[in-house]
Amino acid sequence: MNETSSISRKTPLFEKHVKANAKLIPFGRWEMPVSYEGVIAEHLTVREKVGLFDVSHMGEIFVRGENALAFCQYLTINDVSKLNDGEGQYSAMCYESGGFVDDLIIYRLNGKEALLCVNASNVDKDYAWIKSQAANFITVSVENESDSWAQIAVQGPNSQAAMLACLPQNYAARLSTLNYMSVFSAPLFGRAAFVARTGYTGEHGYEIYLPNDVAGETWDLLLATSAKTGAKPIGLGARDTLRLEACYLLYGNDMDDTVSPLEAGIGWATRLASDDFIGKSALLMQKQNGVSRKTLGFKLLDKGIARHGMAVYFNGEEVGVVTSGSHLPSLDMAGGLARIKSSCAAIGDHVEIDIRGKRKLAQIIQKPLYSTRVK
Amino acid sequence: MGYPTELKYTKDHEWVSFKDGVATIGITDYALGQLGDVVFIELPEPDDAIDKDSAIGTIESTKTVSDILSPVSGTVTETNDDIAENQEKLAEDPYGRGWLVKIKTGDSIDHLMSAAEYEKYTAEH
Repeated sequence: MNETSSISRKTPLFEKHVKANAKLIPFGRWEMPVSYEGVIAEHLTVREKVGLFDVSHMGEIFVRGENALAFCQYLTINDVSKLNDGEGQYSAMCYESGGFVDDLIIYRLNGKEALLCVNASNVDKDYAWIKSQAANFITVSVENESDSWAQIAVQGPNSQAAMLACLPQNYAARLSTLNYMSVFSAPLFGRAAFVARTGYTGEHGYEIYLPNDVAGETWDLLLATSAKTGAKPIGLGARDTLRLEACYLLYGNDMDDTVSPLEAGIGWATRLASDDFIGKSALLMQKQNGVSRKTLGFKLLDKGIARHGMAVYFNGEEVGVVTSGSHLPSLDMAGGLARIKSSCAAIGDHVEIDIRGKRKLAQIIQKPLYSTRVK
Repeated sequence: MGYPTELKYTKDHEWVSFKDGVATIGITDYALGQLGDVVFIELPEPDDAIDKDSAIGTIESTKTVSDILSPVSGTVTETNDDIAENQEKLAEDPYGRGWLVKIKTGDSIDHLMSAAEYEKYTAEH
């Protein structure tokens, strides 16, 4: 037995993955399924039918109190004031430098409560950051409830049909009218849970936040719809190829604290023209001076697969780096995201990528690489 | 499990056969099981000079890149371009139509593992 297995964390659904013969890998401190049937087959299942993801390792941080929403407005870069009860938005937290702390989804549950879903790899860092910033606000409480919540993502064209199996009958109508990025609470096996129409795949889908002790039964109900919906368990390998086709960012790959939201291509989620947030002045300066790096989508024209860290050349000059790259199963080609100097290559241009010593031809193309169907 | 007994095996999970001065190299289904979906195969060119134990190509899966190592020195006579173009077919017949490279060589392959030895090796690693 090695040290990793004795200290690795397991989600409430771990035994299900073992029984399903999942290939398990260490993911941070967690032991997670990277694939079951195979990455490509699982990827296509999500695009064509519906896939179930155990994403219980993600973090759930609750901000509560009279000033909760005002604090979240200061803490995050998107506009919390635009949210009504039961609405969420993609956002991020930045340092004063304008560099990312993390990207996240923030849900306004009600006028005094917000749920922030953060990356698994950043839970402790994010919680410490949020707590330290909340010290400047009164009547705000910050709780890291990640250890109490499991999370199941249900993604694909048949996701609504699969969800009906695990929700009480009287919630079927609520589900069918749920708008993209919205959330409602519902009882699952008698326990309070949240159902959000959000996801990381680019397909119509849902993310269920539920207490650990009802995760297993809920997973079983969803999987039991398989004969009708084609539902299958999906691992982290396909989660990555799916999000990359949709050009969704992955912290650690596409950005870290040395990269700003403007450089990462999420200026659309950054409210530079209204009230203050941490990092706003640094980002305004970047905007005024011209953002020096940008994150673009590319596809390989030559054979080969570009990966994170490979150098990108334009007209013979090294201009940037691949931040995420992979074989893309739905597009049957290789491609990804690259962060390059703003002044050079634009959509349509050819660049070269150094793949293990050989320069391979690629083309900058419009994002997203796959036409998403989330709405 | 049972690996084809007429073949020899390397510690890096290649299989090798030898006939009339030509060694044929492929990878085992154990290696394929470890790799997962193969998405890219890079093979050498005919007439390339090969050194024993050097990397002659790569097999890339969704998550990793693995070198294909040659257990012999010699010259590449043929490469399986059909499989290189249709890498998803490699898993269908890794010991037959999934051969990868043929190398003309004066080396012997007797020192490589037998099927039984390879089976023991994969169980231990």
